[in-house]
Amino acid sequence: MPDSFVQNRVPAAATTQCVEVIEVSKIYHGGTQNAVEAVSSVNFSVPHGQFVAILGPSGCGKSTLLMMVGGLEAVTTGRIEVDGSPMAGPRTSIGIMFQDSTLLPWKSALDNVLFPIKVLKRPVQEYHDNAHALLDRVGLYGFAQKKPHELSGGMRQRVSICRALVYEPNVLLMDEPFSALDAITRDEMNGLLLDLWQQYTKTALFVTHSIREAVMLADRVLVMTQRPATIVEDLTIPFARPREMSIGESREFNEICGHLRERIEHSHFEGRR
Amino acid sequence: MTVETAQSRALDLVPFGAAQFPSLRQLRPVLLPVATAGTVLLLWQAVCLVFRIPHVILPAPTEIAGELWRILPTLLKEAIPTTLDSVASFCLASGLGVGLAIVLTYSPLLRDTLYPNLVAFQLVPKVALAPLFVVWLGITSESRIAFSTFASFFPVVISAAVGFEGADASTLRLCRSLTATDWQSFRLVRFPFALPAIFSGMKIAMTMSVIGVIIGEFISAKAGLGFYILYASSRMETAAIFAALFVLCMIGAALYGAVALAERHVRRHYGRR
Amino acid sequence: MAHVGRAVGLPVAFAIFCVIAWEALCRFGHVSSELLPAPSAVWNVLAGNPGILMEQAVPTTIEVAVSFAVACAVGVLLAIGITFSAAIREAIYPNIVMFQVIPKIALAPLFIVWLGVGGKSIVTVGVFIAFFPMVVSTATGLVGAKPDVLQLCRSLTASEWQCFVLVRFPYAMPHIFAGMKVGVTMAMIGVIVGEFITAQAGLGYIIMFASSAGETATVLAAIVVLCGIGLVLYGLVALGELAVRRWYGGELPTSGVI
Repeated sequence: MPDSFVQNRVPAAATTQCVEVIEVSKIYHGGTQNAVEAVSSVNFSVPHGQFVAILGPSGCGKSTLLMMVGGLEAVTTGRIEVDGSPMAGPRTSIGIMFQDSTLLPWKSALDNVLFPIKVLKRPVQEYHDNAHALLDRVGLYGFAQKKPHELSGGMRQRVSICRALVYEPNVLLMDEPFSALDAITRDEMNGLLLDLWQQYTKTALFVTHSIREAVMLADRVLVMTQRPATIVEDLTIPFARPREMSIGESREFNEICGHLRERIEHSHFEGRR
Repeated sequence: MTVETAQSRALDLVPFGAAQFPSLRQLRPVLLPVATAGTVLLLWQAVCLVFRIPHVILPAPTEIAGELWRILPTLLKEAIPTTLDSVASFCLASGLGVGLAIVLTYSPLLRDTLYPNLVAFQLVPKVALAPLFVVWLGITSESRIAFSTFASFFPVVISAAVGFEGADASTLRLCRSLTATDWQSFRLVRFPFALPAIFSGMKIAMTMSVIGVIIGEFISAKAGLGFYILYASSRMETAAIFAALFVLCMIGAALYGAVALAERHVRRHYGRR
Repeated sequence: MAHVGRAVGLPVAFAIFCVIAWEALCRFGHVSSELLPAPSAVWNVLAGNPGILMEQAVPTTIEVAVSFAVACAVGVLLAIGITFSAAIREAIYPNIVMFQVIPKIALAPLFIVWLGVGGKSIVTVGVFIAFFPMVVSTATGLVGAKPDVLQLCRSLTASEWQCFVLVRFPYAMPHIFAGMKVGVTMAMIGVIVGEFITAQAGLGYIIMFASSAGETATVLAAIVVLCGIGLVLYGLVALGELAVRRWYGGELPTSGVI
């Protein structure tokens, strides 16, 4: 298992990038004269199997950027390529997790996990075992038939992780998926995600405003600021995988966090001036 | 399951009578309004007897009951067209209303064109148009159904359109990310989310269609409870008016109850909290 | 700007198109004027003898305004009673909700038996119909004030009356206005039906009379005037809401009712 995992996620030799973002800008006109530049000439690329966090303060356009990668928002200028072909709209090779769990309130946890299968008109029966396995994997054994209102916030977000993984997309986009949870549940979910990552290695883009969360989860952190709404730092996180949550107490971890905080505060200050 | 059996076992142990009957406090929400209604009836009876109020002005409840019993066959015969017309116009209004709301949801052009006019029509006293329907369709059941449909159609369109529009935005975005078709996202997300709003529109439509039919019968009919009430009032048979009103209220409440029951059924299926 | 233009222009253009199509249908479609008079014919009635219509519009407008005012006053007072007394609430409220469901308009002939043919019974019908939505939505608003804000008041040892004036009432404002908007249209319906069946004066009477005489153009002209009255009264309520909203600094929660 560990061997295949290592083979799987060695990106060094791979020359093709999974996600490529080239000079992308987004301008909102919003019906008025003064346009707002939500994202301005962003460039980055993500190799296959890498976990990248996009870190930035609220309202810096990082979610917009993610939605453009997911094909849910159009780019104003520039180009986004996923798996070598330009994005023109949503694709089934991309799974998205939103800030709230967006579960259908009248469907059970299992049916919610199987929702994408139903939409994609794949044979639901074939995915039954897979869905059950995923629910067990995230610790929801025995909760498959519960409705969302019977689950806690953390459990709902676990269901939504399962839903994003069940149809086996190549790329996973996560838009501040844990920001609505309390701190303790959030740590728990981070642990779970690290754990899941060992098994379902995918290319991932993870948007967050929590520095510790970004450093804990990602192979690489991109720092985005508000003015200009672009990426100002591209930092590789040196911790090996599998990671334990305990690395959060290490000096190196805290130094990286400190550096990132400084970077954000600095550009924030610059932007305000 | 285990909890249930434990509970039922506990119930077996409780002395007979204590568990079967809810306490007075629990019954208060039911008893108080019923008691109030009963008191009003008793007072009414007392006032009629003590002050010897003429029958034409206000017959006593017992007199009304006697009259009701005497003319019940006539009233039931008159109730048939009223009920049928009400149900027909309710069905027409609901079908047309939801249909138009779907069209409005999926065509921005039609929405921008029609919706403000529909809202403006809500404010217009549509009752005033009742005689026109008689001019157009004659003194027929069709003219009453047409008028009543016209009167009860607007609340359905508007609340259904609001419901379709108000479906959870992030769930719809999830559908888009899964490359769902418009029809899929309508069937799986929009429609179930809109059901409470559709039902609240349909409940208004149910009362409106009975009102519409009664107004239609006031101005044009040769049969029906509205006709009978007006006929009795012209002959100053106040007890007969009250008896007819009683039957009409029963019909109104039963029809409304049927819609409310359907709503509860649907709510249980699409249960959410 | 283009956005606003579309939002106003499209519906207005559609309405104008409908009127033109109607005129064309009447002119070239050989529709008898008794069945459907052309808009121009309706305009001729409106412009030709506005005196009669306006004369009849006066009692209708007064009746609607009076029954709306009475319904508002009684409705809000009863709603306050319902909010303050649990006994009143539990005893009366379910009965009121029950009354919402039944076709109250059918009671109109009864009022005529009681109060005779005339303005009094017509106003009573209007009040009776407009009153229920007023009570229900005002009570909903007064009860629905945020519990944490009420708790804050209690922690400041505010009296019930202070709680009411400072918290419950402002929170209920949107609901009260929503009720008033329903109430004003309901009062209109009540008055028109009252005029239909008593047939003495007013626009409702004109409509009944003209339709039985086959003067459909007059019917439509009277309806146009009625719509005008309805829109003005509704507009006054909406303006009142706007004024109150501004008074409270525009931060009132919306009720979501059109």
